[in-house]
Amino acid sequence: MAYSEKVLDHYENPRNVGSMDKNDPSVATGMVGAPACGDVMKLQLKISKDGIIEDAKFKTYGCGSAIASSSLVTEWVKGKSIEEAGKIKNTDIAEELALPPVKIHCSILAEDAIKAAIEDYKSKQGK
Amino acid sequence: MNYFQLFGIEASFDVDLQNLSSNYQTLQKTVHPDKFAHASEQEQRIAVQKSAHINDAYQTLKQPLLRAEYILIQRGVDMPNEQHSFGDTSFLMHQMELRETLEDVKSAGDVDAALLEVQRVLSSEYLQLTQLMRAQISENNSASNGAACDNLRKLKFYQKLNVEVDRLEDALFDD
Repeated sequence: MAYSEKVLDHYENPRNVGSMDKNDPSVATGMVGAPACGDVMKLQLKISKDGIIEDAKFKTYGCGSAIASSSLVTEWVKGKSIEEAGKIKNTDIAEELALPPVKIHCSILAEDAIKAAIEDYKSKQGK
Repeated sequence: MNYFQLFGIEASFDVDLQNLSSNYQTLQKTVHPDKFAHASEQEQRIAVQKSAHINDAYQTLKQPLLRAEYILIQRGVDMPNEQHSFGDTSFLMHQMELRETLEDVKSAGDVDAALLEVQRVLSSEYLQLTQLMRAQISENNSASNGAACDNLRKLKFYQKLNVEVDRLEDALFDD
């Protein structure tokens, strides 16, 4: 199966790979996994006091499409409010990367990672 | 007839693999193409279909994770969609650490020892989870079936890791 040019670009030059301190109260961590393929994805967002995502990092163990989906998401969420980031849909990711149907679950994983990170942030703020 | 009935064995997670294999060979002989050389086209087609069915059943019961999944589906357990994301954070954090450890094997001072250590950790955790799942499957109530289902999903992450370990081993010692 051939990867699209955009997937290859993100796969070969992934943006924002790395980790942040998960105990930092301004850092939201979203961990998700896909049992079907064993992919594990971590998305971390640094969120300002007024709810703007200042920075994003990811670490993904998975196929090219999973890496590209999470890399793309880190680019997209930067500068967005958490509400705006929460509206990113897997279909937007799949469309941007021209993912074939068998790889749609990679974009779902990336969407779920954003949601998980936002949940983590909310539970941290609630404390 | 379910897969267990097909092989005339008890529907349980504990399967005698030797017995399964010999029953499989006996069954396959009954549908062997040689037996149907002079049969009608329709009979030949049915024999081929039966042979494929016996093969599917054997492959499913032979592998522990597929067997567990089959048992749970037979019980009508609502299996979460394979594509559905898994969100157990502490489990996934640990999975990420295991993958990082595996990644570091290549650059370890003593590659052999580092690889052996990863394999030791993985097989002990895999065994522990499998035993837990086995107990939950034999308990067979709705709570234990649900828990078994959860552990089955976790085991799939280990299965993937084991594939990665094999791949690394090949890459390291092939040349």
